[in-house]
Amino acid sequence: MGSTEQEVKQDGSEATQPVREIGHDEYDPIGTLTLIALYFLILISMWFFMYFVEFVGNDPTVVGMV
Amino acid sequence: MSTFVDDFPAEAKVVRSSMYNAFVALAIGALMGILQTLYRTDVFHFISAEQYYTVLTAHGVFMVISFTIWFLVGVFAWAVISSLDRGVEDLRFTWAWFGFMTVGTLLAAIAIFGGFMSDPPEVLGSELSADVLFTFYAPLEAHPFFYIGLVLFVVGTWLAGADWFRSYLAWRSENPGERIPLPTFMVLTTMIMWYIATLGVATSILVFLLPWSLGLVDTVNPTLTRTLFWFFGHPVVYFWLMPAYLLWYTLLPKLAGGRLFSDPLARVVFVLFLLLSTPVGIHHQYLDPGIAEGFKFIAMTNTMFLLLPSLLTAFTVVASIEHGARQRGGEGRLGWLKALPWKDPVFTGMIFAGLMFAAGGFSGMVNAGMNINYLVHNTLWVPGHFHLTVGTAVALTFMAASYWFIPQLTGKQLVGRSIALVQVVLWFVGMVFMTNAMHRTGMLGVPRRTAEPWYDGFEYAGNVAEHNFQIALGGTILTLSILLFFVVILLTLLRGSKGGVEGSSIPEPLSGPDHSPAVIDNLKLWAGIAIVLVIMAYTLPLASIVERGGLFGPDGMRSFPSGNPGFLEYTSLFVQMVIQNATEVIFR
Repeated sequence: MGSTEQEVKQDGSEATQPVREIGHDEYDPIGTLTLIALYFLILISMWFFMYFVEFVGNDPTVVGMV
Repeated sequence: MSTFVDDFPAEAKVVRSSMYNAFVALAIGALMGILQTLYRTDVFHFISAEQYYTVLTAHGVFMVISFTIWFLVGVFAWAVISSLDRGVEDLRFTWAWFGFMTVGTLLAAIAIFGGFMSDPPEVLGSELSADVLFTFYAPLEAHPFFYIGLVLFVVGTWLAGADWFRSYLAWRSENPGERIPLPTFMVLTTMIMWYIATLGVATSILVFLLPWSLGLVDTVNPTLTRTLFWFFGHPVVYFWLMPAYLLWYTLLPKLAGGRLFSDPLARVVFVLFLLLSTPVGIHHQYLDPGIAEGFKFIAMTNTMFLLLPSLLTAFTVVASIEHGARQRGGEGRLGWLKALPWKDPVFTGMIFAGLMFAAGGFSGMVNAGMNINYLVHNTLWVPGHFHLTVGTAVALTFMAASYWFIPQLTGKQLVGRSIALVQVVLWFVGMVFMTNAMHRTGMLGVPRRTAEPWYDGFEYAGNVAEHNFQIALGGTILTLSILLFFVVILLTLLRGSKGGVEGSSIPEPLSGPDHSPAVIDNLKLWAGIAIVLVIMAYTLPLASIVERGGLFGPDGMRSFPSGNPGFLEYTSLFVQMVIQNATEVIFR
């Protein structure tokens, strides 16, 4: 029990005490841009796969029979 | 640095009780989940094929109506009370909506569990049973208790919303000209959306399904009840999601050691959800005959716009977390990820939930496309999709948030922090197995909502057995995860030591509300536009459905004035004539 409490406090203080303050103007979310760009690439390539390979590329679907 | 229970002890009790109710629903829902997983993957049959549908209904209703919405009312009550920094106006009223929701849940539960009895008793003239699934539209018919229970539950949420609006108005009269605090703004916009959305389900139940179930009317128009259900059925998914978003916007930046990147952007997101959540329901009916393709196309267009607020959220939330990581000393293009508090189960759980939501965004895009939807419609792909969204983005966020809320609401420190961390990771791993296999099985054409999706003389063109194994494995890991969740919650409640819990204050955003125009806080304006959009999206489809199939179905139309019609029949005939005439005028 004792060690758990210690851990809670350690984690809690770790989460709330920043090493430095970064204000609105000096913050440049370049990491966010990288992650979001990566996500878009995955999203688009998977959609292309679904549309061209699975949907259009496969044998009869409801659309294919019309 | 005081906790919520120190500041508002009486209110904390309501919030706590709501969350306990949510946990009970979660436990029942989870039990049903593993029973059905093992059944339909043909691993082990604890139940009969007939009972499968009772189990499926219970899993759906307890998870996505009871668990999510009970947790939501807890989160929303906390959000309003703590951000306005004032207690509720009248505690008796608060317990009244709590009571409505409780009685509603119990009635619906009695009706559903009647399905497990070999010889269910007759109550109110019909057998106690409600194997109608969460999507409870006709032709499936439930016992009146199920519908009455749902009505009481929804009325309870309406009253809860009124409670929060009342608090807001009281705060407003004391703070004229001030911007609405962000959490309260999120609650109010979500509740306006909910009021609009639930009109559909209220009409469906009160005018059609309940009278039908009581034997007051003989027939209903199935397309109409389906359409009214989906009028509510799509916005309800955002009702589940908005408390998760609220927590991502408020708690996550704090836990990451940073500040919310942009308060105005968060407000825009919630306004967009208010505007766009409802006029899209027809995208659940792409394959329904009886709705013209043009209406479906409009619903698809609205749906694609609805991707926007979620993408805005991805940006804002990730940017806020990155801010935290950099304040904690994180460096580099992606190296900052290492500086995040990954040992904190609340943080890690919510991040994993968000990650799964990103994957759900992909399968949602496929669902939303009118053409490509044909590939996956009514297959196991769709449950795969919503186990990523409501089953992980929402449920895992709620479970992770519980590790933060329970200490706030009881004043007791969390016990079993490392078990909690294992729990959230297990949920993620279990869902990766289960949903991946569900999506892939769906692409092979395996249907959803089916106890035994195997057929004589027909083979699916793929390795269904392997996918089934993954689904069963995933389901088992998820069950283990739920058990660990309850271990941590119970240990905390029974063994947690009082005191030493961190305060519940939320840091100021980097870009505050002053950076946005005041019109964003004009709730009446957004409510007005939302209503206009709903009228535009739904008037013609509903009129055309009624014109084709009759308000109470084609039979109802033919036999209508015969016999001795009662008040309800006269009223409905009148409404039907009005709608028919209006349609003729419009189409002429």
